[in-house]
Amino acid sequence: MSKEKKRMAFGYALVMPAFLVVMLVVAWPIVTAVQKSFTDPETGGFTFDNYLYFFTDPNQLKNIFFTMFVCFATVAIAIVVAYLLALYLRFVKSPVARLIGNLYLIPRFVPSLVAVYAMITIIRDSGLINRISLLFGADVKLGMMYHASGMITMNLWFNIPFAALMITAGLGAIPDSIIEGARDVGATKWKTFTSMILPLSYKDVVVASTFVFMSNVGSFTTPYLMGGNAPKMLGIALFDQFNKYLRYERAAALSVIMFLICSVSAAVYIYTNLKEKDWEH
Amino acid sequence: MIECKGVNDMEEKILTNETVKSAAPDRVIKLQIKDMTKKYDNGDGVEHIDLDIYEGEIVTMLGPSGCGKSTILRTIGGFLDVTSGDIQIDGKSIVNLPPEKRPTAMVFQSYNLWPHMTVYENLAFGLKLRKTPKDEMDREIKRHLEMVGISGMETKYPSQLSGGQQQRVAIARSLLLKPSVLLLDEPFSALDAKIRQQMREEVKKIQSELGITIVFVTHDQEEAMALSHRIVVMNKGKFEQVGTPSEIYDNPASRYVASFIGEMNFIPQADGSTMAVRPEEVFLVKDGEACDMSGTIRTIMLLGHYVETNVQCGENVIKCYVQREDIEGVNVGDKVNLKFAKHHVF
Ligand SMILES: Nc1ncnc2c1ncn2[C@@H]1O[C@H](COP(=O)(O)OP(=O)(O)OP(=O)(O)O)[C@@H](O)[C@H]1O
Ligand SMILES: [Mg+2]
Repeated sequence: MSKEKKRMAFGYALVMPAFLVVMLVVAWPIVTAVQKSFTDPETGGFTFDNYLYFFTDPNQLKNIFFTMFVCFATVAIAIVVAYLLALYLRFVKSPVARLIGNLYLIPRFVPSLVAVYAMITIIRDSGLINRISLLFGADVKLGMMYHASGMITMNLWFNIPFAALMITAGLGAIPDSIIEGARDVGATKWKTFTSMILPLSYKDVVVASTFVFMSNVGSFTTPYLMGGNAPKMLGIALFDQFNKYLRYERAAALSVIMFLICSVSAAVYIYTNLKEKDWEH
Repeated sequence: MIECKGVNDMEEKILTNETVKSAAPDRVIKLQIKDMTKKYDNGDGVEHIDLDIYEGEIVTMLGPSGCGKSTILRTIGGFLDVTSGDIQIDGKSIVNLPPEKRPTAMVFQSYNLWPHMTVYENLAFGLKLRKTPKDEMDREIKRHLEMVGISGMETKYPSQLSGGQQQRVAIARSLLLKPSVLLLDEPFSALDAKIRQQMREEVKKIQSELGITIVFVTHDQEEAMALSHRIVVMNKGKFEQVGTPSEIYDNPASRYVASFIGEMNFIPQADGSTMAVRPEEVFLVKDGEACDMSGTIRTIMLLGHYVETNVQCGENVIKCYVQREDIEGVNVGDKVNLKFAKHHVF
């Protein structure tokens, strides 16, 4: 064997384990799931019924719209809050800012189940907030349990630190001198923000948005513990098809639908990452 | 080691340490720094800075890296708050104004073009803020790009330009706004010698055409000498001397200034002081004539119309610039006598 060939063989040998694992646990299940989603459970023949069910049944349609609503609301609020937090961390140099800069990632280290239960004890109608309000003679019932607002609040807990981490990294890459230069030629703080900071960090915002969106489309723990019976998040609807109704073909179809929803977001991510602007060379 | 007479009974020629007021009394003060101190949290910074800069003057801050040149410039531009003291332009304090409200424009040491804007957009940004009409804007941008020698690059992005080109765009960008005080922080550091020379001429020309006041920062003494009406020599956050280039060259106020500007021989004296002599003030004299030192020739280098020679006098090596005809027939190893036309003692 020539030296060149040996080197290539060695390269393939390094890649092979990862390749096999990916084929086995990712590609293969996807192929079988897609196959199953087009299979009629009775006849075993080809059918679109499994898909049609989710787009015609009013309850399932509601689930899809509800999931989209929760995801978009989470993305919008998480990104705005994270952006403000990242701006604060980037531009304010004070001990408080430094402290927050060190602490804001802590939610990422709390196991999700623990965090969800903690949130429930606070916001449920007999929870901490209710009890504090009773001390002041009011009986505040937030009504956030089994409601979109509770789930969105919980999602924010998970996603704001994550989005802030990504955006902070992006803002950190903008040198002070760019901002000083803008101020020097007469730009106000607001104008500097809109003409310099925003265009230079918008890519990180898009990337953070797609990640937050994708992680919420298939979320399960939070909707399982905090979500209502109807409408449901798609993660729960999928669980029902699989565990309650044992409709494996429909479960497969719903998986594919969720995958497609995510892939729109993935496409946005890949597009913004690939589309290098002229100035980035 | 000093074999011949003369050093001690030679008249002391120049010993004045006071700075001569360079500007005529009727000139208008444009920029005034009054007992300004800027301390960073770690204690670095500049202290008790006093400086008057006149309208239409080019004043250069000259000093080694880390001596506080940029710090002073950034306090004038408004990018650093002063710890104490005051800065005035046209008699009005500017220390509480944000950068965008100050009549200054700055070219930063890191030529900070905006990476997501083309050269045209970089130049247009400030003009747009001033609501300049489009046709006038186009004209001005074209004219300024021509002036700094990079016409036709309007549509390029900064990352597609060389360091020198970026620096020239940065200079054009600040000139375009016709600031009444222009702050330049080592604006030519990325340019090669020839373009550097051109840009110096350009800055001088622009300055006299527009009548603007320029505060220039450099650690290149040659650049400072070539460009400035007055030079401020800095050392570790303080001013060592303020004066015209010839004052500073001819009458350095301290040993530090003498060593920083131009070439200088330092000769330790018996009384602990140091005598300083410029190489061009050293002459070779014949045996028997009055001389200050004597020694043997170590090296002779022809540098065009003059010759640089190093003479070993005891433990000291004296550098001399002499005319070619004066060293005719003298070889390495020969004994020579030296006479100093002018010297300083520190
Ligand atoms: N943001 C800062 N925080 C703390 N110290 C600083 C800061 N900026 C500068 N310094 C310190 O202040 C001193 C003066 O810095 P300055 O940037 O003014 O030097 P300079 O004369 O411009 O040097 P150079 O020729 O290298 O640009 C240095 O000792 C530097 O380490
Ligand atoms: Mg500097």
